[in-house]
Amino acid sequence: MATKKPEQFDRVDWSELSESRRFDLSINSIGMLVATLPLALLWLYDYQFVGEREATFQAIGLSRNLDPLDYFFVFTLFLFFFYLILPLYQNPRMTRYYWKEFRRNRPAVVSLGWLGIVFVGGLIGPLLISAPEQSILTGHQPPVFLSIDEANVANCVGEVVNGRCQGTWQHPLGTTRGGKDVFAGIVYGMTISMQIAFITTTIVAAIGITFGTVSAYAGGWVDEVMMRFVDIILSFPTFLMFLLILYIYGAGLGMFILVFSAFAWGGTARYVRSKSLSVSEEEFIKATRISGASTYRVVRKHVVPNVASSIITQLTLLIPGFLLAEAQLAFLGIGDSAVPSWGQLISAGRSDLAFAPWIVLSPGIVLFLTILAFNFIGDALLDALNPEAEAESA
Amino acid sequence: MGFGKYVGARVLWAVVVSLIITTITFLLLAAAPNPAIREAATQAALQGGDPSAAVERERELRGLNQPLYVRYMDFIRSIYTLDWGWSESRSQPVTEALLQALYYTAQYSIPWTVLTITLGPLVGVYSAANMYSWRDHVATGFAFFGYAIPNFFFGIILLLIFGVWFEVVPISYDTSAPVFSLQNVRQLILPVFVLVTGSIGATMRVSRNESAEFQNSDFMKTAKAKGVSPLRAYAYHVMRPTMVPLSTTLVGQLLALFIGSSLLVEVVFGIPGLGRLTFNALISQDTNLVLGSTLVFTFIAVVGNLLEDLVFTVLDPRINYDDR
Repeated sequence: MATKKPEQFDRVDWSELSESRRFDLSINSIGMLVATLPLALLWLYDYQFVGEREATFQAIGLSRNLDPLDYFFVFTLFLFFFYLILPLYQNPRMTRYYWKEFRRNRPAVVSLGWLGIVFVGGLIGPLLISAPEQSILTGHQPPVFLSIDEANVANCVGEVVNGRCQGTWQHPLGTTRGGKDVFAGIVYGMTISMQIAFITTTIVAAIGITFGTVSAYAGGWVDEVMMRFVDIILSFPTFLMFLLILYIYGAGLGMFILVFSAFAWGGTARYVRSKSLSVSEEEFIKATRISGASTYRVVRKHVVPNVASSIITQLTLLIPGFLLAEAQLAFLGIGDSAVPSWGQLISAGRSDLAFAPWIVLSPGIVLFLTILAFNFIGDALLDALNPEAEAESA
Repeated sequence: MGFGKYVGARVLWAVVVSLIITTITFLLLAAAPNPAIREAATQAALQGGDPSAAVERERELRGLNQPLYVRYMDFIRSIYTLDWGWSESRSQPVTEALLQALYYTAQYSIPWTVLTITLGPLVGVYSAANMYSWRDHVATGFAFFGYAIPNFFFGIILLLIFGVWFEVVPISYDTSAPVFSLQNVRQLILPVFVLVTGSIGATMRVSRNESAEFQNSDFMKTAKAKGVSPLRAYAYHVMRPTMVPLSTTLVGQLLALFIGSSLLVEVVFGIPGLGRLTFNALISQDTNLVLGSTLVFTFIAVVGNLLEDLVFTVLDPRINYDDR
C-alpha cells in the first residue's frame, strides 16, 4: 500500500524510474524526516537542558510535561500519518474502492466514528479540559439529569430537590468518591488508550514484519530456530510474566507497553513468514529478481506491501487485547496508580457501586464500546482488504 | 516420521519450553533485589546493628552467596521434585496452598470449560444452518457482546443487579458450601456465566464460519438426497469436519482467558482460587508463592498447547508429520 502505483498500466513514467537511485526518498519519507527532526530536537532539549522535575515547556509558560512515552506516541502518530493516511490520499482510486467495500459493513462505519471520537478526544481533550482533581467536598456528585440521596453527598453542587441532590452540567458524568470528575477522567483515559493502541501496534508490526521476512528469506536452520523461538514467545503466559516483573521491579505504563508488545508479535511473525513465502513464489517477484533487484529491495518494495493489508487486519484485532489487559491490571490496583486510565476509574468506583453506579458504568461502557469498535473494524477490514479471505470463509 | 515419534518429539519440545520459561523466571528473580534481604537490613539498622553484616548473614542463610549456576541447578531440581518451599504469608507449604486453591478454581473452571466446548460449536452450527435469519443475527450479536465486554466489568454489573438489587445470589463466596449443593450452584452461577459469555463468542464465530463451508458440500447434498434426518446429517456430516479447525484455536483461547480472567473473576466474586492466591501473594510479597503459582499457570499453558497439537493430529488424519 505504501508504494506509488500508476493509475494506468500503459502510462509508465520511465524518466522517474531510470532516475531513481537506491537512496532516493519518497515524499512520505521526506515528510516523515521533516516531522521527526523537530521532535528529536525537542527530546534532546528536554533530556539535556530541562531539569528532572521541571515541565518541558516551562520556558514558554506551559505546564505540560512530556515523558518518553509521549515522544514515542507522537512519533507513531507521524508514522501512521505518513505511511497510512498519506498513501491513501495519494491513491484515490484504491481508497475509493476500499471505502466502498468497507462501507458495506454498517456497524464498522459507526465503529470508525466512535474511534474517531476517542482519538480526537484523546489528542485534544487534555489540552481543553483540566486534569481531574481531588476535592473531597464535591464527592459522589450524580451525572446530569440524575439524582442521589442527599445523605450520600457531602456538598451538593447542583440543587437539592426533595432531599435528593440533582446532577449539574459542571460534572456531566458525576464525580468519584474523591470528587474527581468522571467525564474528565474518561477523556484522559482516551489518551492512555490511544497511546497503548498506537505504540504497541508499531512495536508489534516492526518486530513481527522484520522477524517474519528475515525468517522466510533466510530459510534452512535459521528459519527453523527463529520459528521455534516464536513458539516459545507464543506459549509465554504474558499476563503472569508482567505480574512477575511488576512485582520484582515495579512498572509503569511504559513497561506495560514494552512487555505486552514484546510477547504479542509471535502471531504476526508467523503470519508474515507464511505470507511472504507464498508471495516470493509469484511470477512478478521472479521478474524483479531477474531484473537485478536486491533481496532488500524485493522485500521492501514487493513483499511487505503485499502482506501489509493482512497485517493491518491482524493488528487491529490485537489492540482490544492490550486495552483489556491494561484495564484489568489497573482494576486490580497493581499498575501505576498515577496513570488516569479507564480501569483505574472502574476500580475507584467499585466500593460505591450500590449507590453511585455511574463511576463504574461510564468508563466501563466506554471501554466496552472501544473494544467492540476495534473488533467490528477488524472484521470489516478483513472483508475489504483481502477479498480472498472472505471467499474462503463464506 | 510416524505418529509415535511425532508425539515423542512434541512432548520433548514441551519439556524444553517449560524449562526455558522457568529459566527466564529464575533469571528475573535472581537479578531482582530480594525483599527479605532489604527487610533484614532495615531490621538491623533499626535495632542499631550493622546493616551490611545482616545482609551478609541473610544471604548466607538463603544460599544466595553461592555461584549462579549452583543456585540454578538447585532451583531446577527443587522445581521438578515439587519442593517449592514455604509460603510465608499463608504459613503452609507452597504446594499445599496451591492444591487448596486449585480445589476452588476447578469448581467453576470445569463447568465453564464443559459449557463452552459443548454450547459453542452447537450454537455456531445452528446459526450457520439458519444463516442470515434473525436467530443467526441474535447469536452473532451475543458473540460480539460477550467477546467485547470486559469480564470483570460484566461481573461487577451482574453482581450489582442480581446480588444487590434483586438479592437472588449471595454477594460473598461461602467456602464451606458443599461442592454439589444448591448453595454452591447459586454462588457459582454468575462467575460461570460471565466466563462462558467471554469465551463462547470466539468458538461460536469460528464454528459458524467453518461449518458454513460444509452446508452446501456434495456429501451434505448426498446425505439429504438419501433422506438422512437433518439432525443426523448435521451431527455426522457438518459437526465433525468443523471440530478439526476449531480444536486448533479452542485450547489456546481458553487458556489465555483462563490465565487473565480467572484472576479477575476470582477477585470480583471473592473465590479463593488460584488467581486470588497469586494476587494475594503479589500483594504480600511472598516470593515462593508467587513463583509457585507462576509455575502452575505456565505448566497449564504448556500442557494445553501440547494437548491441542496432539488432538489436532488425531482428529485430522491428513496431516503429514514430516512438515511439522
